[in-house]
Amino acid sequence: MRGQWMRAIGDRLRHNLTTRLIILLALALMVITGINDYTRLVREREQLVTQTREDERIFAETLALAVRYNLRRGRTTEELEGLLGEIVARPGLVAVVIYDPDAAVVARTLAPGSEASTPDELVRRSLAQREAVSSMADSPSGRILRYVQPFRWPGGRAGAIEVQQTLREMERQFRRAVRTTIISRLLVLALFVLSIVILTRWNIARPIRALIAAARAVGRGDLAQRIAVPRQDEIGELAAEFNRMAENLQAANAELVRQAEERLRLEQEVQQTQKLATVGMLAAEVAHEIGTPLNVISGRAEVLDRVVPRDHPERRNLDVILSQAERIKGIIRALLDYTRPRRPSLRPEPILPIIGRVASLLMDRSQRRGVRLHLELSIGLPSVMADPEHLQQVFLNLVLNALDVTEKGGTVRITSGPDPQLPPEGRSSILRGKADTATLAVHVIDEGKGLTAEELNHAFEPFFSTKGRGQGTGLGLPIAEEIVRGHRGEIEMLSIPGTGTEVIVRIPLADMSPVVATAKEEAVGDGR
Amino acid sequence: MARQPSILVVDDDPEMCALLVDVLRNENYDVIAVKDGTEAVLALRARSFDLILMDKNMPGPSGLDLLPGFRRVCPDSQVILMTAFGDVPSYMEAVEKGAAEYLFKPFRMEELRAAIAKALQIDAQSRP
Repeated sequence: MRGQWMRAIGDRLRHNLTTRLIILLALALMVITGINDYTRLVREREQLVTQTREDERIFAETLALAVRYNLRRGRTTEELEGLLGEIVARPGLVAVVIYDPDAAVVARTLAPGSEASTPDELVRRSLAQREAVSSMADSPSGRILRYVQPFRWPGGRAGAIEVQQTLREMERQFRRAVRTTIISRLLVLALFVLSIVILTRWNIARPIRALIAAARAVGRGDLAQRIAVPRQDEIGELAAEFNRMAENLQAANAELVRQAEERLRLEQEVQQTQKLATVGMLAAEVAHEIGTPLNVISGRAEVLDRVVPRDHPERRNLDVILSQAERIKGIIRALLDYTRPRRPSLRPEPILPIIGRVASLLMDRSQRRGVRLHLELSIGLPSVMADPEHLQQVFLNLVLNALDVTEKGGTVRITSGPDPQLPPEGRSSILRGKADTATLAVHVIDEGKGLTAEELNHAFEPFFSTKGRGQGTGLGLPIAEEIVRGHRGEIEMLSIPGTGTEVIVRIPLADMSPVVATAKEEAVGDGR
Repeated sequence: MARQPSILVVDDDPEMCALLVDVLRNENYDVIAVKDGTEAVLALRARSFDLILMDKNMPGPSGLDLLPGFRRVCPDSQVILMTAFGDVPSYMEAVEKGAAEYLFKPFRMEELRAAIAKALQIDAQSRP
């Protein structure tokens, strides 16, 4: 229990600046005021003692005069004691003793409860020197101040009167003074601590707590967090700086989020395109396989349609066959229309931004795979006739393949130029499409295992993949081929087993192809 | 129309061949059907045709492969190519290579008649 309490205080000291500051200040204040009060109290006590002694002296002198007078008048000891008995009622007075010149007690009166004292060295000294002496003595009832006043005894010698006074009253006063001092000091200290607590809370702890809370919120990701500190001091400055930092963070974060969203959108687009392309390929396959038998069914039905009269009893069967064949055709057409990529809208386009977008899209992936993606393209490449989105898909597929087959630490290069980059020795190749105008060639070169001549022959077939099961769709290259053909370009694949594979995409140049391209576009348009 | 226009049907599917022969003979065309490119080449060596109705997808050389040769050897024979529905790239290639018409399977018999009429009209125009 007590240990816990101590630990709690220890924790507070370690973790709480305000507590540490307050304790330090309070200690300093206590030491300073303590020293001050101590010296003051000591002085006060001395003064009190002096005062008491002075009182005693005056009293003793007066008493000495009275005794002397009475002695001269020949009063007896009994009478003197009676006189003293009246005097001893004075508060604080313990005893009054009259000594004759031989230091024998002549008369004595005692306060109730006090002990009789015997003449001692002090009395004798006073008698001998004829001087008043005083001393402090301890007795069971507290400290006692003794004062011995000599006076002239009848006959010329000196007698003495001793007054003993207890300092109890003075001590009580002094204790009261000490108590008052301590209480007032404690009050001042408490007030001081309280005001410091309030001040630091208000001026330091509170704004710092606000800062801590805001920093925590920012740490948790709430970047909209701001601190309202309308102050000009260092804390205000800190808050302003914090707010600026949060603002910058928020802006940077917003930019990151925007970029991530943009990337996600692009990736989703790519995925969607690929998915549609996959379904489209399947649909095309289905359409191809079903086309002929469906044509036979509907054709035969049409032949019958021409000869079976409208009112023939079996006419309904024929009508159903005709309409259902038409329905199948409609389903295939809808599927193809849905999935077929829109026709490319070819226009003069610089190639660099297209490849740049692909590279930035795949930079993360290449870094994750530990494969370097190296662009070796000059700024001055001529523009090509292209649909940027379609061409982007081509390079996306090619670079994706290249990244997937290249081992960690390898490099995938994208470069340009008319000639293949792979050496001719052991190289096999396959060319798809045919470009009949001047083209710009872009090469995507990987450091994968390469393909044999046999594998290369199947490379552009749908669903052919050298990647593991479930890794590729096997449609990347067929789609790329289809798009490149749509651009009136050609795509060539060269490979050396054990060295790598190079894919060259040749797209017609913008300033060479407009006439040809338009002519062909029109031909297509007419035919549909 | 002095003589019946002659048509060579090239399709590897026997039922498709039979259908086309039945329909076209019924239209009074002089029709011969063969099942692949080799037989087509042999048939074209034997005689000439006004029209060749050829499938694109066949075992051996495809319709697209045969097309340029046919256009060169017998430029008077118009060619109509048939292929699967939606095969636009083949369509474009076929047009480039000189096909007169193009039919997407499945097509209606009216479409077939119209395509043949149009192709033969081109043929007539090119031979004044």
